[in-house]
Amino acid sequence: MRRRAGVGAIQKQRLEQEKYREKGSEIQENQFQQMSKQLDVFRENLEEFATKHKSEIKKNAQFRRQFQEMCAAIGVDPLASGKGFWSVLGIGDFYYELGVQIVEVCLATNYKNGGLITLEELRMRLIAARGRGKVHQEITNEDLLVAVKKLRIFGNGFTVVPIGKGKWLVQSVPGELNLDQTLVLQKASALGTAWVSLSILTDDLGWNETRAQNALNHMVKEGLAWVDSQDSKETLYWFPSMFSECVAA
Amino acid sequence: MADITWPWQYNFPPFFTIQQHSETRAKQLEAWQQLISEYLKATKQSTIDIRETQNSVLFNNAEINRKLSQEAILTILEDMAKTGRAAPMDKSRNVWEVYWHSLDEWGNLVYNWACNNGMNNSVCTLFELREGENTVDQEFHGLDMSVLLKALKNLELKGKCELMEFDDSQGVKFF
Repeated sequence: MRRRAGVGAIQKQRLEQEKYREKGSEIQENQFQQMSKQLDVFRENLEEFATKHKSEIKKNAQFRRQFQEMCAAIGVDPLASGKGFWSVLGIGDFYYELGVQIVEVCLATNYKNGGLITLEELRMRLIAARGRGKVHQEITNEDLLVAVKKLRIFGNGFTVVPIGKGKWLVQSVPGELNLDQTLVLQKASALGTAWVSLSILTDDLGWNETRAQNALNHMVKEGLAWVDSQDSKETLYWFPSMFSECVAA
Repeated sequence: MADITWPWQYNFPPFFTIQQHSETRAKQLEAWQQLISEYLKATKQSTIDIRETQNSVLFNNAEINRKLSQEAILTILEDMAKTGRAAPMDKSRNVWEVYWHSLDEWGNLVYNWACNNGMNNSVCTLFELREGENTVDQEFHGLDMSVLLKALKNLELKGKCELMEFDDSQGVKFF
């Protein structure tokens, strides 16, 4: 007759299970400790790196971009947190400052360009405005794009419109440009003339007249384009934001 | 040709077509008014005859082959009249006086000059004011006669001077 499991065996089994559990949590704790130690080290290093190179990051545009890329690679947005050790860096401050200055430039030139400005003009004016007195800080187009993107939290008042070939326009009036209007701007930029006409849009983009006229009318209505009815062939639509003498003025 | 720095708009072709969009149009009119005032100031002129404008460099930029039509000029001048910066001289609204200083400002300029030069309570002729040696460095030197007269009449209303007629010229006494 088979002996049934006795009390001793049950107790032994329970003891073993307990030991396993103990060992398990011990290992877990170990791992956790190691992990947080690693994180601490990482944090420390990053902080050290940031403080050590703070001025470099602020001053050197290329370095700043690389730092941004590095942060992006490990999934950290130094702009997102104003508190904590990132504030040591002042990276956020740099872009906030830039953002405020961008708004200022856009408002100051609104009277002539209707709220549309090329990224180059914006950069030129910003550098001119910041240049006074301070230690010179190089500002790249990338910096501007990052800063303008941050302005988006204020609604659609500030948007970047790509017009091809590494060129951008910054729009500082509420109201979004639809795809057709963006294409019109791209066309004007590609032609380098600062103007477009109905025939250009119908010929080059293959639009029908209604579509082209709608897009143009809208841009006139938004104050982005000026109408010129003295061309011998047809009505021309001019964009002051792309007109070189307006940009330089 | 006047020696002024042309604003960027002067080379911007649509500047010579009156814009229909209200905001853009406001910017355009403002820029034109500044340009007109500056041009007249530089050329020491006070009147514009709309019928004779089509060949003036002010309204005709041959380089970009654009000119401002007579109706457009009338639109701008009428807008200037609203703020007292211009006034029509005839019923058909062809001849306009443009004040690059308002009449009040002109009056004050003359009066200040008179005070600074101890002319109070003495009489000088309008000819002296406009062409005299003492006023060569003054802005009102060579000012259009009718503008000067209006400015002085304005001053007279304020009790700061009195206009008087001589045989064939006019004079003014400052108080």
